[in-house]
Amino acid sequence: LGFERFGKFGYVSQTKVAQMVSFLEKDQLPATRCKKCKTLHFPPRADCQNCRNPSVDWVTLDGSCTLITFTEVHFAPPQFQADVPYLLGLAELKEGPRVFAPVDSNISRPTLRLGIHMVLRVVRRSGDGVYYQLQK
Amino acid sequence: VAIIGVGHSKFGKRSDASLRELAFEAYNDAINDAEVEPSRIDGSVVCSATHYDKQRSPAGVVAEYLGLNPEPTFNVEAACASSAVGLRTAWALISSGLHDIVAVVGVQKMTELSSEEIQELMGRAGDVMWESPFGTTMPAYYAMYATAHMSRYGTSEEDMALVTVKNRKYGSKNPNAMFQRPVTVEEVLKSRIVSSPLKLFDCCANADGAACLVLANSEQAKKLSDRPVWVAGLGLASSPMALAGRKGPMTSFEVSKNAAKAAYEMARIKPSDVDVAEVHDSFSITEILNYEDLGFAKPGRGPMLLRKHETELGGSIPVNVDGGLLAKGHPVGATGASQLFTIVKQLRGEAGDLQVDGAKVGLAQNIGGIGMYSGVSLLKA
Repeated sequence: LGFERFGKFGYVSQTKVAQMVSFLEKDQLPATRCKKCKTLHFPPRADCQNCRNPSVDWVTLDGSCTLITFTEVHFAPPQFQADVPYLLGLAELKEGPRVFAPVDSNISRPTLRLGIHMVLRVVRRSGDGVYYQLQK
Repeated sequence: VAIIGVGHSKFGKRSDASLRELAFEAYNDAINDAEVEPSRIDGSVVCSATHYDKQRSPAGVVAEYLGLNPEPTFNVEAACASSAVGLRTAWALISSGLHDIVAVVGVQKMTELSSEEIQELMGRAGDVMWESPFGTTMPAYYAMYATAHMSRYGTSEEDMALVTVKNRKYGSKNPNAMFQRPVTVEEVLKSRIVSSPLKLFDCCANADGAACLVLANSEQAKKLSDRPVWVAGLGLASSPMALAGRKGPMTSFEVSKNAAKAAYEMARIKPSDVDVAEVHDSFSITEILNYEDLGFAKPGRGPMLLRKHETELGGSIPVNVDGGLLAKGHPVGATGASQLFTIVKQLRGEAGDLQVDGAKVGLAQNIGGIGMYSGVSLLKA
């Protein structure tokens, strides 16, 4: 269960939150919640930032969110050059935390407006990779 | 603590020189400028984003090549803000009494990396666990701030182009700048899209170069120099690296506001007291955000300063009148020291055609990476 399977191209393979991948494979959006102070962490953290408690529970998120900002990338790092141009977005989830994610390439640029409602959904890439994406 | 000498190499594609040789050019210039015996320098701080360097732990070869052994030397790294951290480090080394005279050497050798290597590094500029796996780039992050600023305040691509046009105009009068040719608004708007809404001429260029500062405690500064420039205020702050970890509408850098607040408080001055400023124009939009974050304009009003020419020579707050990163090029580790070089020259009245008349208080602001570090330095003549 390697974390390098997360994303369009994974750089990091080893982490305490590698379990995230198995949630995504079940089409679930995972977050962690501190067992002690109940702070919600997304992206998931193994250690609570609020009270430093290193013990968390896995929970799932709804995916509803609001678009804060975006860009269309035309000049990409080597592993992503076949995909240009592609959209990257920042959104605020209904539960509070923010998410940085690719935006569905089927969405036409002119319909993207800051403040619109979007949904974070799980998508798969070729091979055994899995990640999430902002969709309409 | 005062800056008693400054030096600067030519910035650009310096295929004629290695990292250590670039450092020497700036150091030699600074020593001549300070008129100090090199043997009096009792420590050096080398500022570079070392992942760009072929040489690992470059302070080793730099101190050797400059003849600064056996005094202590080490590297400081805060991406593009490495030199701002270098200044702060040297200030602390001197203020503690451990050192009397310290050389801060900002240096970077970027153009010998292949474009593949550069692009690979660029892809890991953000949070490598949660954001880089989606194909982030340095311009993409700043572009997202631009999108938000445009949407919230009506800032236009023409406004951003005015930053590049202004800075390239002044760069054409700075012999150390990488780009010597002015550009027009139309050229900026027609340049190819890098990450919307940012186009090629909205972005600074990778470069090779070095800049050096010689700092001394007040006793030595008064003894050695007839024109010391005093460090009046220093602010440095941090911010989450992950964009998703930051709060607010993404139209300003909290990290710069925090650094500015600390620097203004330490110097006991307000933004309107600043006579000349160097701000981190890694992208055109960054300069606009910086006007607002540093208190030169109210939130959303940054573009008005450009439209009214207030940040040009003769305006109320001239900014980046040496060309900024957009014209000088951006040798990451050297950029902060280059900004301070310009401010020192301005406060001494030695900036020639680019002189801001009667400048007494100068500000240099240096952002690191995608905004996880920001340093604000205030200098007084």
